[in-house]
Amino acid sequence: MSVAVRNRMSYGRDQRLRQTLRIFFHGGYFSYRALFNWQSPRFYVPTMLAGPAFQVLFFAYLGRYSHVRDDAFYVVGNAVQVSGMSGVFGVAITVGGERWTQTLAPLLATPANRMALFLGRALPHIVNGFIVSAFGFAIGRLLLDFHPGLGTIPELAVVVLLSTTTCTAFGLVVGALGLRWRDVFTIANPAYFLMLLFCGVNIPLSALPKWMQVVGSGMPLTHGIAAARRVAHGASLSSVDGLIGKEALIGLCYFAAAYVLLRVFEAEGRRRATLELV
Amino acid sequence: MAAIEAENLRRTYKQTSGFLRRRTKTIEAVRGIDFAVDEGELFGLLGPNGAGKTTTIKMLVTLLIPTSGTARVLGSDVVDDARTVRRKIGYVFGGDRGAYERLSGLDNLRYFSELYGVPPKVQKQRIPELLELVGLTGRERERVEGYSRGMRQRLHIARGLLHDPPVIVLDEPTIGLDPVGARELRHTIAELARAGKTVLLTTHYMYEADALCDRIAVIAKGEIVATGTPAHLKSAVADRTVIEIEAYGAPEDAIRRLRDAPGVTSVAVEDREHAQLLLVQAPQGSVLTQQLLGHLDGVRVGRVTAREPTLEDAYVSLVTEN
Ligand SMILES: Nc1ncnc2c1ncn2[C@@H]1O[C@H](COP(=O)(O)OP(=O)(O)O)[C@@H](O)[C@H]1O
Ligand SMILES: [Mg+2]
Repeated sequence: MSVAVRNRMSYGRDQRLRQTLRIFFHGGYFSYRALFNWQSPRFYVPTMLAGPAFQVLFFAYLGRYSHVRDDAFYVVGNAVQVSGMSGVFGVAITVGGERWTQTLAPLLATPANRMALFLGRALPHIVNGFIVSAFGFAIGRLLLDFHPGLGTIPELAVVVLLSTTTCTAFGLVVGALGLRWRDVFTIANPAYFLMLLFCGVNIPLSALPKWMQVVGSGMPLTHGIAAARRVAHGASLSSVDGLIGKEALIGLCYFAAAYVLLRVFEAEGRRRATLELV
Repeated sequence: MAAIEAENLRRTYKQTSGFLRRRTKTIEAVRGIDFAVDEGELFGLLGPNGAGKTTTIKMLVTLLIPTSGTARVLGSDVVDDARTVRRKIGYVFGGDRGAYERLSGLDNLRYFSELYGVPPKVQKQRIPELLELVGLTGRERERVEGYSRGMRQRLHIARGLLHDPPVIVLDEPTIGLDPVGARELRHTIAELARAGKTVLLTTHYMYEADALCDRIAVIAKGEIVATGTPAHLKSAVADRTVIEIEAYGAPEDAIRRLRDAPGVTSVAVEDREHAQLLLVQAPQGSVLTQQLLGHLDGVRVGRVTAREPTLEDAYVSLVTEN
């Protein structure tokens, strides 16, 4: 059993990097399976596919009924936002759920790089969120009047993937808060509806009161959805680079905030026994 | 160099209650303890519930910061050098929670191998070895949610050994196990010590500490009241007699009278199904059974026997007399 000891002695920078990457990728994968209970079709189909599909249809028909905007407006807005099912709920559960499984103590007793440990948990949800969004778009294409040109699809996919990533970063913040304040759902539920209102999903930001516009401009998805609408109408990626840049920047801020929060809570937990570590 | 050193280690908890008028209560969980565990030693921290065992362990495994004092694991400070300590120490806690229920036992071990930075090639060899050691071979692909209490406990042990740590701490590892399971677990722990590991074990079972440990520190109300080999602890009560009195419904003040009686060193009360068992310790030849019974005037008394003290009595006297 002294292989590990010897390995540790000759510990290169290389090996440490490899370990960190493994925590990021493999660790992310294990945590997804360990903590996220919507993997089985019984849960996945209703929450990740049916629910989002109804959301897209509901708002599109509401829009038709009130003669405000065309289907495309609602399809793009909602199809991007439904990624929050994964990006907000999923991520929040994989982070905040440590409390239910009571695995926080053994987890934090490991020397694992915390950045890789926590951010790795976001990775599977970015992929999953992208799938959920793609399904939302497919529903719009099949059942509603949403017919983007074939050529726009790759560029649309880039914008959607970016938005999903930003949304997942936001979900990490929600998960961190849930970990500290006992219940993730009491935070994740309002967070999801907050996005529905403030991110220009169904109501253009310009139609909201000034203070809501300010909040909305700091939220994930707001700029991504605006960019996706234009790209779906045939605009090129380079013509929306300002929006994409802002979305990316906001995403980075949320990732940073989540990391800082988790480190602060970990330190606080060790000092004040607040994380109920066993 | 000692494998584990604690110097004047102290930890308090603050509890706030009340909404408008917030009151803060300070709980002194560990009140400045000193102990050292040598390399390769199997050391027991023995004490009743609430004595501060878990708090001590959590400080050693870096999950709690000491309020004051220091602790070192193989020379590394648990606060200043927490990450090094985490690499050197394996942490096994009692109880059946703390594994990912939805993952198989194998995947739990694979996940924690990653977190401990065990390279994949080493994992391939070590995980089957550990499964074999804790007797989970053949069941490793089942989800943990279907595991019995004993299997979960053994999985915790395997997890604590993934990174081949030189120091292992186990917090009440046999709690809630059936006698056979507990015996097997003790066997595994003894084997670890034989393989050269330093083992720190907490327990509230005297016989467990006696059977396993090279040395024991008895902890009560956050303080270490005695340290030594099991034989050494026992010699502290060697010159005593234990008088066991079976009583039916002895009131508090009768027991207090007994405790204050001249010559009596301690009285422990064990509740049995229909009766109480009063364990009276006194120096040999110092009191007569007849006198003791006089203090229990009006209480119905059953069998009365006198016997030699055991290690259990040594423990009871340490925990109750201090
Ligand atoms: N998180 C906590 N907050 C407040 N008090 C605590 C906390 N954890 C333990 N205690 C108290 O500290 C004392 C020691 O507890 P513990 O270390 O768990 O003892 P043991 O493991 O020996 O049973 C007990 O009085 C317990 O109630
Ligand atoms: Mg305990």
